[in-house]
Amino acid sequence: MKNEPVDVLIVGAGASGAAIAWSLLETRMRILCLEQGPHLADKDFPSRDDDYELSRYGKFSCDPNVRGLKQDYPINADDSCIMPVNFNAVGGSTINFLGHWPRMKPSDFKTKTLDGVADDWPVDYATLSPFYDMNDQTTGVSGLACNPAYPKYSPPLPPIPIGKLGQTLAKGFNEMGWHWWPSDVSILSEDYDGRQKCVNAGTCDLGCAAGAKGGTNFTYWPMLENAGVELRTECRVREIMVDQDTGMATGVIYHGPDGQVHEQKAELVIVACNGVGTPRLLLNSKSKMFPDGLANRSGMVGKNLMFHPLTGVTGVFDEPMKGHEGPMACSILSQEFYETDATRGFVRGYGLHSGRSTTPMTYALGGFGIDSPIPWGDEHRDVMDNVYPYIAGLTVVAEDLPEEHNCVTLDPNLSDSDGIPAPKITYRLGENSRKILKHGEERAKEILLAAGAKKILSKGNDIVWWRAGWHQMGTCRMGDDPNGSVVNGWGRSHDVKNLFIVDGSIFVTAGAVNPTSTIQALALYVGDSIKTNIETLFD
Amino acid sequence: MWTDKQNQTLILILDELIPANEKAGVPAAGALGVADFFPAATPYAPDPVQSITGILKAVDDKIPDFAKLPRAEKIALLKDVETRHAADFATLVRLTYMGYYSRSDVRPMFGVGPHPVQPKGYDVARESNELMDSLTAPVRARGQVFRDV
Ligand SMILES: Cc1cc2nc3c(=O)[nH]c(=O)nc-3n(C[C@H](O)[C@H](O)[C@H](O)COP(=O)(O)OP(=O)(O)OC[C@H]3O[C@@H](n4cnc5c(N)ncnc54)[C@H](O)[C@@H]3O)c2cc1C
Ligand code: SF4
Repeated sequence: MKNEPVDVLIVGAGASGAAIAWSLLETRMRILCLEQGPHLADKDFPSRDDDYELSRYGKFSCDPNVRGLKQDYPINADDSCIMPVNFNAVGGSTINFLGHWPRMKPSDFKTKTLDGVADDWPVDYATLSPFYDMNDQTTGVSGLACNPAYPKYSPPLPPIPIGKLGQTLAKGFNEMGWHWWPSDVSILSEDYDGRQKCVNAGTCDLGCAAGAKGGTNFTYWPMLENAGVELRTECRVREIMVDQDTGMATGVIYHGPDGQVHEQKAELVIVACNGVGTPRLLLNSKSKMFPDGLANRSGMVGKNLMFHPLTGVTGVFDEPMKGHEGPMACSILSQEFYETDATRGFVRGYGLHSGRSTTPMTYALGGFGIDSPIPWGDEHRDVMDNVYPYIAGLTVVAEDLPEEHNCVTLDPNLSDSDGIPAPKITYRLGENSRKILKHGEERAKEILLAAGAKKILSKGNDIVWWRAGWHQMGTCRMGDDPNGSVVNGWGRSHDVKNLFIVDGSIFVTAGAVNPTSTIQALALYVGDSIKTNIETLFD
Repeated sequence: MWTDKQNQTLILILDELIPANEKAGVPAAGALGVADFFPAATPYAPDPVQSITGILKAVDDKIPDFAKLPRAEKIALLKDVETRHAADFATLVRLTYMGYYSRSDVRPMFGVGPHPVQPKGYDVARESNELMDSLTAPVRARGQVFRDV
């Protein structure tokens, strides 16, 4: 393995690592990406198997503790009501993500000014807007233009079908007089850029074997590798090295596929390991200069972990809803209750997402993200025959607020297959999030009834979905104040001038939308800022 | 692995976990042969055979001839075993659902295609522009729902 010094070293080949590599391509700098997982061939995705659903509970589970593959790191979530989930391979978690692609909104970047909570971001929607557009073009995004919930923009492709289920729920929203819109999705409604359109298989979490979903394994990486970006797989970074005199990052130490420990020098190090993997790497990079972890003089590395806590309500209708046909998470999205309304008793808000439903096994086992099988015996028969085919549901996706006690630390006892300390999650649901979920549950029931549901199924408790830590944000927040944030307004560490972070850990707030379109827009913006500031980059 | 008697008891237990819908031609789990799934179910539970053997033993300790019990008593006995051996019973239920619903001949009984979902997928027509226009008309008519900053 050649380890000549490179100009740019990116750690992590997921959503954000790919986007920033693409942005920096035109600089002609020598770019290397180290990724702990392998390249997966789409022919190996389980959606091609007869018993495809089984893999959701084994090697293709979204839970790294269930998969337990060599490239996975275990996560101790004993002190959390939500388990962070991910995928570790070229494409990162976009291998098994569901492709739901809403943008954040102008108010999301100004919660302190508008609502007196959390902090304002050092960037705003208008600044990110061209990067959202650029990313949508490269990724291939389908949706309907002129959504009244956003400043004007146009997705490059027409919407995917919302199907019988989406149409039924849309009528319910219309009946209530509430906003809804076909979901923006990074899923191709038409053949695009040499990629095939979606075949409505409905198992987007099992890897899209059609290549229709905008995982970076299908979008950015083929382009990047063709253009000469070096991608070294099965290489797990253990530590980022720092020159103890200058305080600059000098490169990394990593475990290679040969089982050996290697050193890789670089001029610029960019971390793109997701909201749990990034603080883990920084906390594992201790030195005399940074005894509490790299770039952690503020003490904010690992703090303010935010998820999108979820709950769901299901309606049982008279006719089969065919919920398994079409992209799993995406049909329509309501943002009626997104913005703060003081009369509701909480700040910020939530989205109501109509995913489709799942296939029979997943339903019988409790649903995607839930581990609570339906009853056995005669009740089982009744549920599978008279409920399952007729359901349509709404998921309440709440905006979580940053709270310092929700955090990622290092577990003193647990480590990965290379012996690197694993992350430990400490997270409890905030009171504001709890109120949001309650409000959302009540509204979801009203909509389902208005849409014609004959019966409503809801949990009736305030337990959030367990295996639903899909979105991990806030653990290396951006900010202008070096005492209260880890990176500045364009992703550069306050403490280490040639270290950048580009994943969801730099979010200041979480919004109430799936984060990946914003993560990638932000990564493109950071890339652009690096290019703009190239002359004075390390000042 | 299991004696003939244990195998017979297991089939009867499975038939109670997922009973048949005879009218609709949906078989019960035991009759469908779900027991064959368990030995290979190690990716989905740490030691499936040990868990299931534990349940079989608990049933046998209670009543040596489970097969002879009337249905209501079988169910009552299983509920009792479920309470006393919660973890193993939960494993049995979970694996039974997995073994049953992962079969391509079962999915169509619930309206889902027998085929692997890739590459064929499902035909779902895109809504016409007219339909989408009429569905979204009230939303558009109400106007902006985001805050100006
Ligand atoms: C089941 C599921 C469904 C989801 N659905 C949606 C959705 O519908 N919409 C949406 O917006 N988002 C969704 N998400 C979230 C989305 O996948 C993430 O937001 C996004 O992938 C994050 O991008 P990232 O670059 O930060 O991290 P990732 O894409 O996770 O990439 C991080 C990469 O870094 C690598 N890495 C980590 N540590 C190291 C190390 N030490 N050395 C080398 N490599 C390392 C990992 O292997 C991984 O490949 C979903 C996620 C999951 C798991
Ligand atoms: S539904 Fe579409 S995006 Fe999802 S896996 Fe199937 S083809 Fe891919």
